[in-house]
Amino acid sequence: MIFTNLYASSWSTVGEPKEKGLFDFDFITWMAWTWPTASFFIFIALCITVMYFWEKKVPGGSPRKGILTLNTTRGDRLFVSLLSAAFIHLAWLGLTDFNLWIATFLSSMFAIFVFKYV
Amino acid sequence: MNKTSNQKAWFFVIPVFALVAFNAVVPLMTVVNYSFQETFGSNVFQWEGTRWFKEILHSERFHSSLGRQFIFTFIILLIQLPLGIAIALTMPKKGWGVPVCLILMSMPLLIPWNVVGAMWNIFALPDIGFLGNSLNSLGFDYNFTQQSGDAWFTTILMDVWHWTSLVVLLSYAGLNSIQPAYYQAAEIDGAGRWDIFRYIELPKMKKVLTLAILLRFMDSFMIYTEPFVLTGGGPGNATNFLSLDLVKMALGQFDLGPAAAMSLIYFLIVLLMCWVFYSLMMKDEGRT
Repeated sequence: MIFTNLYASSWSTVGEPKEKGLFDFDFITWMAWTWPTASFFIFIALCITVMYFWEKKVPGGSPRKGILTLNTTRGDRLFVSLLSAAFIHLAWLGLTDFNLWIATFLSSMFAIFVFKYV
Repeated sequence: MNKTSNQKAWFFVIPVFALVAFNAVVPLMTVVNYSFQETFGSNVFQWEGTRWFKEILHSERFHSSLGRQFIFTFIILLIQLPLGIAIALTMPKKGWGVPVCLILMSMPLLIPWNVVGAMWNIFALPDIGFLGNSLNSLGFDYNFTQQSGDAWFTTILMDVWHWTSLVVLLSYAGLNSIQPAYYQAAEIDGAGRWDIFRYIELPKMKKVLTLAILLRFMDSFMIYTEPFVLTGGGPGNATNFLSLDLVKMALGQFDLGPAAAMSLIYFLIVLLMCWVFYSLMMKDEGRT
């Protein structure tokens, strides 16, 4: 597969010839794809797709003045959610030693809050 | 009136999408990929998880270069904004002085960054440079290559010289767009010079000044070439700003993983500040 062979699975296998996968082209190996980072980008793409269909269903982006007294649309709210999710994860990594999934949970809670009130 | 729906124009946007994908999206994705892995080159990567992010967030080196970056940007804004407004207020509003002033003001903006750095480097050299030599003959102990205070002084002076004009030009445009009726009304009311500035000119310049703050914040927060040529981050680490430190880590030490994590954190800070300024600018606009 495209991702599995593009990085060495451990230090002991570094330098050993790799088995070529179906999509393992040389021109893309430098991008160093892995499943976790790929799923992150797939998630972002999914978000944008969902926003597209949401806009088709309810056009106009439902603008309003939220608790920050800013005029926001649906897209603004998605941006704020994603940006704050990034900072919540960074703060979690920098300040605590707990499981990172808790930060992901907190971020999604915060995203719901943002979509409701901001 | 019936609007015909024709989405074919989107095809014309495809070249732009392709271009942006190649010069922005693909590199950004690669940086995200690198920030979770370790590599010594040859396209061999080892998964490291969130290790680099943890390391960067706890690293003394990152804290100090980020701190230096914020202090630098803060000083730059503190000097350039009032100075820029003051110069714009004293510039002539009509006559032959207008083009002369505008051209003089635009000149520093047209000089490439690395040339500015090289110019100021030579200008400030303590033995042969005009600035350095003059300061030393006046009795000041000035040497920007050895004393960190002098290095900061020179870097800030260079940036003020290079970029204050931008604030001047923006403020000047803002001032010129004020209708004369406001000044006449102020005169009838017997307003002083300060009152005119405080209650007419400053509120009318709010938009351009927000723009000026945004542009100056971003440019000084991402400053690289000028201090790289002028001081190279030295003496020691005194003027080692965030972008200089990032390049040292990525290209000097070839620590691609930590450098990628650091640049993502850098990117997020820039994105946050952009959003804050954008929201402030758009706050009073009736957006549809």
